[in-house]
Amino acid sequence: MTDYLTHLEHESVFIIREAYKKIRNLGLLWSMGKDSTVLLHLVRKSFLGHVPIPLVHIDTSYKIPEMIQWRDQYVKDHGLRLIVGQNKAALDGGMGPDKGRLVCCGALKTQALLDTIKENNIGGLLLGIRRDEEGSRAKERVVSPRPEDGTWTYKDQVAEIWNHYNLHLPESVHMRVHPLLHWSELDVWEYIQREKLEIMPLYYSNADGKRYRSLGCWPCTGTIDSCATTLDAVVEEIRLTKTSERAGRAQDNVDAYAMQKLRSQGYM
Amino acid sequence: MTEFKQRKLVIVGHVDHGKSTLLGRILMDFGKIPQEKIDKVSRTCQSRGIQLEPAFFLDALQEEQEQGISIDTTRVNFEFDGKRFLLIDAPGHLEFLKNMTSGASGAETGILVVDGYDGICSQTLRHLKILGVLGVANVVVVVNKMDKAGYSQSRFEEVAAEIRAHIEKEQKCLSVIPISALKGENLSQSAKELDWYKGLPLLAQLVEHTDAQCRLDSEEGAGEPFRMIVQDVYRFTDERYFAGRIVSGQISAGQKIFFSPSGKESTIAAIETFPATQKETAVKGDSVALRLKDQIFIERGEIISLPEESPEVNSEMEAKLVWLNSTALDWTQEYLLKIGTAEVTCRLEPAGNGGAVENIVNGDFVDVVIKTRTPVSFDRGNKGGVDKLVLCTTYETVACGSIKALSSHAGIKSAKSKNIVVESGFVRRQEHEHKHGHKGAVLWTTGLSGAGKSTLARALERRLFDDGYRVVVLDGDNLRSGICADLGFEPQDRSENIRRVAHMAKLFLNTGAVVITACISPYEKDRRMAEEIIGEEDFNELFIFCPVEVCQQRDPKGLYKKASGGQIKDLSGLNAPYQPPAKPKLRLDTSTVGIEAEVEAVMKLLHSKGIKPAPVGKEFVAGAKYNSGINKASQ
Ligand SMILES: Nc1nc2c(ncn2[C@@H]2O[C@H](COP(=O)(O)OP(=O)(O)OP(=O)(O)O)[C@@H](O)[C@H]2O)c(=O)[nH]1
Ligand SMILES: [Mg+2]
Repeated sequence: MTDYLTHLEHESVFIIREAYKKIRNLGLLWSMGKDSTVLLHLVRKSFLGHVPIPLVHIDTSYKIPEMIQWRDQYVKDHGLRLIVGQNKAALDGGMGPDKGRLVCCGALKTQALLDTIKENNIGGLLLGIRRDEEGSRAKERVVSPRPEDGTWTYKDQVAEIWNHYNLHLPESVHMRVHPLLHWSELDVWEYIQREKLEIMPLYYSNADGKRYRSLGCWPCTGTIDSCATTLDAVVEEIRLTKTSERAGRAQDNVDAYAMQKLRSQGYM
Repeated sequence: MTEFKQRKLVIVGHVDHGKSTLLGRILMDFGKIPQEKIDKVSRTCQSRGIQLEPAFFLDALQEEQEQGISIDTTRVNFEFDGKRFLLIDAPGHLEFLKNMTSGASGAETGILVVDGYDGICSQTLRHLKILGVLGVANVVVVVNKMDKAGYSQSRFEEVAAEIRAHIEKEQKCLSVIPISALKGENLSQSAKELDWYKGLPLLAQLVEHTDAQCRLDSEEGAGEPFRMIVQDVYRFTDERYFAGRIVSGQISAGQKIFFSPSGKESTIAAIETFPATQKETAVKGDSVALRLKDQIFIERGEIISLPEESPEVNSEMEAKLVWLNSTALDWTQEYLLKIGTAEVTCRLEPAGNGGAVENIVNGDFVDVVIKTRTPVSFDRGNKGGVDKLVLCTTYETVACGSIKALSSHAGIKSAKSKNIVVESGFVRRQEHEHKHGHKGAVLWTTGLSGAGKSTLARALERRLFDDGYRVVVLDGDNLRSGICADLGFEPQDRSENIRRVAHMAKLFLNTGAVVITACISPYEKDRRMAEEIIGEEDFNELFIFCPVEVCQQRDPKGLYKKASGGQIKDLSGLNAPYQPPAKPKLRLDTSTVGIEAEVEAVMKLLHSKGIKPAPVGKEFVAGAKYNSGINKASQ
């Protein structure tokens, strides 16, 4: 009997295959986190073990160093194609969280992403965002068209009925495709557990009893107190937790609608 | 342990009736909202000087909170009593109907929220109808804001009776439950303010009412016709894989399969997975990749079925649509039809013979005939197959709908004949008519042998031709010597003869021609079938009357002689029945009226029906010349 995770998996595979068929130069936005890891696995499931699309990583240069090491090793081990994007001009100009968290995100993530899309003529990206992460993502569509400047017209999204996604796009637009939109944080962890996926060690509790629940840039991402040192323990912890996943993300809490503002300008 | 299957419900109803509040309140009561989020929403509400709005847990956008309105749909997972629920919040404002529909299309059951104080409003009923188009047949009603309605039992019963009557027209009303979403009353526990209500609280009832659907889901398509929609064909190695999703039924390796509309056949060698497993059977909902025994060429858009239960292939289908765009439906425009994974250019025509319905805009319902440029495969009428469609412009979905079941008569044969590809002209009838300057019509003569049907048909043909009409005569004897040569004169064969003639007439009619049929057509029931096939508006029944004795005297083909000699046993009006029409458009007694007068009478009938635009009047012509003169002068 098909269990719930399998149901989610099949739905996501359908979406990924639709995107691959319809979108020119599709890529996978890969942050090496748990969601992108699941997404990459689902791409393999979709294409019978193959990864026919490049991974795209937006490197703010503020990423936790272990993340970059892990990234390069993983790509090498699995023979994947990786595109790394970075807003060098902004970094040369001294951009960092001290200039304001939202300004920094806008420059080092949003702008870097848009530039990378343009430089590589990318027609669309698979992104591992989920509805339960925060309020503005909860209002997303599975497929979201973005004009050149990346803006999200959240007040007038196109209808998305049954499994009919609007994947035709004009040249200057890129598509954000969200195959994990309906997954919850717990679903992601249970799936990692079930499929025995390789996951970055930062998610496990260290000697100080701290672990990351969500991975991002080191100045803006906090750890949580946890004694979960194994995958099973992490899954159990998530099952019982009462705090939200992104509580450790500073940029979310700058003001009441911080994420909405960031995302309406093209943030992932 | 939590059940595997998810029960999918959408919360719909008029704007401000409390849909998001209901969902927010349920989540809050069950501790599903993290404390920081409660704090954040509390701060927002305080700064606005309002009480805590549970709706804000869903309505997270700034614009939504500022205006107290949901703009877009969202969905949350929720577990209750070991059951897995998907609760979809839908916005109520008409302007956001496409968002409501996007949300509701993911549901199997509807929760219709009605404000107990304000009662049923415009969007209450529209949402109900949309659920119907989407195939959501089961609806639970909550009468909300009972606190505001003074917890009045009589008010509740009044609203309940009214909404029940609306639902039971086309759907099923599972229950009507009084609640206060804001105060959390009668959601998970009965409320003392509502002690007069004897039913279970809302959540317990939701469990109960979704059990049947859940059991059905657990069968995973067993017993349904197998349908897989093909998304893509992969060739990463030497092998070819046919990737797609099973939307109904089940399939196993080794089974023979059939592709529509291409009509190709093959056998499944294996159901491939990653990592590789020995997957023997795939079921409804699965995304699969098939390896086949033969190398066949197939593209995206096909439907895979078993050979013996393939879907229909046609370029014409009737559908019920809900329009979801502020730009009105344009009967002259082409749209992109998406059904399964197929995408094909189509045009729309109003269904029935009511003529074009003007100004179909956002939120309107309309019955249409969809005519596609190339044939597509689909199922008809809510049988769990591929019967749901959307219509798109280049970048937007502008409507959605479901294909209707066939009407009784037109479907007689299609039940027998499988995999038939019906092509219909892509040039619309109106275009033909416009080009030729007159409308199409069918003149269906009926009467005894020798009554003068063929004589009239020939005279009319000449007259119409000379007057510049495109005209076709379908004469019974001619047809019976060819296309209907296999038919005799028993009632079933006569019926089949009429069915064929009617369909032929319809084909010509669709090219804008005036069609004259000349068949005895003795049975009332067969003529009604012909009327249904052709369409009431275009079907003109002409009763060619002549007393049987006169026919006998005329006996142009010697049939009456043969019949009285016993060589023919089934001559209508003599030794087989002839049922005269009760209400013909015209009754012509050919024993008293001459052929010229008969022709005049028919021409008069055609003109009274507006077959040709009236001759252009003098003033108008003069005006037109005058105008063109000005144009020339100014150029
Ligand atoms: N008195 C009372 N007010 C309620 C109740 N439920 C909702 N409301 C109020 O009704 C208003 C609208 O509630 P929402 O939940 O936003 O309504 P909605 O149906 O989601 O509206 P849209 O999504 O915009 O169509 C809010 O101010 C709620 O506080 C109730 O049970 N009693
Ligand atoms: Mg709402």
